[in-house]
Amino acid sequence: MPVFQIQHTTQYDYDYPVWESANSIKLYPRTQEGQEILSQQVQLSDKEARIETYKDYFGNTVGVFNILANHQTLIIDSVLTVRIPTRTVSTDPGDMSDWERMGVAKQEQILLLDLARPEALSEKGQTVLADCFSGDQTPFEAVMSSMAYVFERFQYIKGITDVETTLEEVLSLGSGVCQDFAHVQLYLLRSRGIPARYVSGYICPNKNGLRGEGATHAWVEAWLPDRGWVGVDPTNNVLVSNTHVTLSVGRNFKDCTPVKGVFKGGASHALSVYVSVGYEDGYVSSEHNALKANKIIVSSETTDHVQQQQQ
Amino acid sequence: MIPRVITAAEWQHVEAGIRQRLKALNMFLHDIYHEQAILKDGIVPRDLIATCPHFTREVMGIDVPHQLYVHIAGVDLIRDGNGGFFILEDNLRTPSGVSYMLENREVTKRLFPEMVAESKVQGVSQYPILLYNILLSLTPRPVSKPTIVLLTPGIYNSAYYEHTFLARSMGIELVEGRDLVVDNAKVYMKTIRGLRQVDVIYRRVDDEFLDPLEFRPDSVLGVPGLVTAYRKGNVAIVNAIGNGVADDKAVYAYVPDMIQYYLNEAPILPNVPTYRMENVDERELVFQNMERMVVKKTNESGGYGMIMGDKATSEVLEAAKLDILADPRSYIAQPIIPISTVPCYLDGQLQARHVDLRPYALCGPNGIEIVPGGLTRVALREGSLVVNSSQGGGSKDTWVLGA
Repeated sequence: MPVFQIQHTTQYDYDYPVWESANSIKLYPRTQEGQEILSQQVQLSDKEARIETYKDYFGNTVGVFNILANHQTLIIDSVLTVRIPTRTVSTDPGDMSDWERMGVAKQEQILLLDLARPEALSEKGQTVLADCFSGDQTPFEAVMSSMAYVFERFQYIKGITDVETTLEEVLSLGSGVCQDFAHVQLYLLRSRGIPARYVSGYICPNKNGLRGEGATHAWVEAWLPDRGWVGVDPTNNVLVSNTHVTLSVGRNFKDCTPVKGVFKGGASHALSVYVSVGYEDGYVSSEHNALKANKIIVSSETTDHVQQQQQ
Repeated sequence: MIPRVITAAEWQHVEAGIRQRLKALNMFLHDIYHEQAILKDGIVPRDLIATCPHFTREVMGIDVPHQLYVHIAGVDLIRDGNGGFFILEDNLRTPSGVSYMLENREVTKRLFPEMVAESKVQGVSQYPILLYNILLSLTPRPVSKPTIVLLTPGIYNSAYYEHTFLARSMGIELVEGRDLVVDNAKVYMKTIRGLRQVDVIYRRVDDEFLDPLEFRPDSVLGVPGLVTAYRKGNVAIVNAIGNGVADDKAVYAYVPDMIQYYLNEAPILPNVPTYRMENVDERELVFQNMERMVVKKTNESGGYGMIMGDKATSEVLEAAKLDILADPRSYIAQPIIPISTVPCYLDGQLQARHVDLRPYALCGPNGIEIVPGGLTRVALREGSLVVNSSQGGGSKDTWVLGA
């Protein structure tokens, strides 16, 4: 029963004061089987601001807050203690009738339909991925083979992709980070009609040297009859058992962005993210990244009037 | 200049039909964003909703005041050669044009003062008061003078005149997105005396521009965090967010089934027959009769994305077929209906022009009121069946006679 203490700090520094910032955070672990939240504290640099939370369409807890006054720094600090019970994940391949039962389930839930629709991809992109599946696989086997396929075909290289990188670009680069690996496998699974969702969270591998350790991580869950959501990590080629902490799920990264926001003012800014994972034995792994910002600047000077359609 | 005349009996029929329809559509919108019973019972295909670009997952499960989604509808009706009325569109998002209805009446009252009185033409000028009372009834705070605002995209919007007109006639503030801020899930208006909490927003900004945190992040027309305030019930938004799912022209095809399903009644006003291009049989039928069909994109409005089969060249029709085959979900087809004409005074003489009718319906907690009259939209070009103002259409006053 490993217990992890995770600290996740996001800091924005602006070169000039900004105001009326509105932010949305997905930093709250999902309440789900396989993870028990012992405590969590989310603190903001602005002590006046209050975080309102709600559950979104995918069942994630989302926090929203505004800071109206001028400010030059915004810090969002989450400290979390979570217990991941030890469990074994079944590797029973199931059988071919699972395809049919999956089809029936999809017709009963819009959510599964949503998650089984692949994004549009050019013919060139499709060719890159053409030899992933064979026709005699059960859904579980297809999940496992697509994971291995992504793991083997793509190189893990930091810094060449960012939050704006499209699937098409990842395919032509042949490399990327966890988020890109997840997007490729999602496409593969959905192209076979398997409902699959993007998962954002942390990996706490206990010094196993897994990729993504001590940082925010991303992986995939596939929906299978009888089992429900099964987690697979194409960056590490492992079934998710007791090393992953889930924050949020969705169709893709955009549904799970840990921190996003808008503000007014003409400032440019620097974003840094610090994540550390502490273990019961006192070991701490951490990573500090200065990142390309995924924050959108709304300048108060330039207003862009988009003509809407008339009804 | 010459008003279009509708008798009291005709109007009663239209009124009953619209009332029934909006009741069912409101129930549909509540259902779609909550239990989805109509999908579970197989009346509307689940796939159709899942693929609708206006099915707004962000508002799933949000409870709106009085379970009212449609507060204002601008229902488009046409009459065929036999004089029967058909519903063409419901326009449940931000229908425009009501100021023209009110202005047209001002003009005909001056031109034909005696005739208006003698014919007992029913009044339309109560529209702003009716709307104001509905906005008032939606306030989430029990205060005697709630703050109600009209949110406009700004001076570059083609309906800006109407926004100023309505705000003035209701005595409410006209604001742009930058005049509002959200704090602690409440909406505030910036005033010279500081922030004032806003209770009800009559918005003329489309859903996707309303809140850059939830929808298009590049929108500067909206208010960041607005949906959070809405979700918490701290502000009412008119019309509700997500109504576009019922405006989808492929979903429109199911409104008669919705009426049957929710109200257990037969539809009073029929739909225009609508062929869904996803259904192979219907598509074949349309392809064989392209010159008698009008092809429309399912999620466009204002007369855009529309091909009239009788006017288009064969190349255009063949190209349309390929477009349809590539993305059948995004198209429907309807038989071209020889819609009715009325006399118009153009270039010094009376000429027949095709028209439709857009009455404005207001739904509040105490029921649905349809202002007797509406906008009669005129296709100014001879023989044209396209009445949209964005396509060069005009308008005229509509007189509903008293009983």
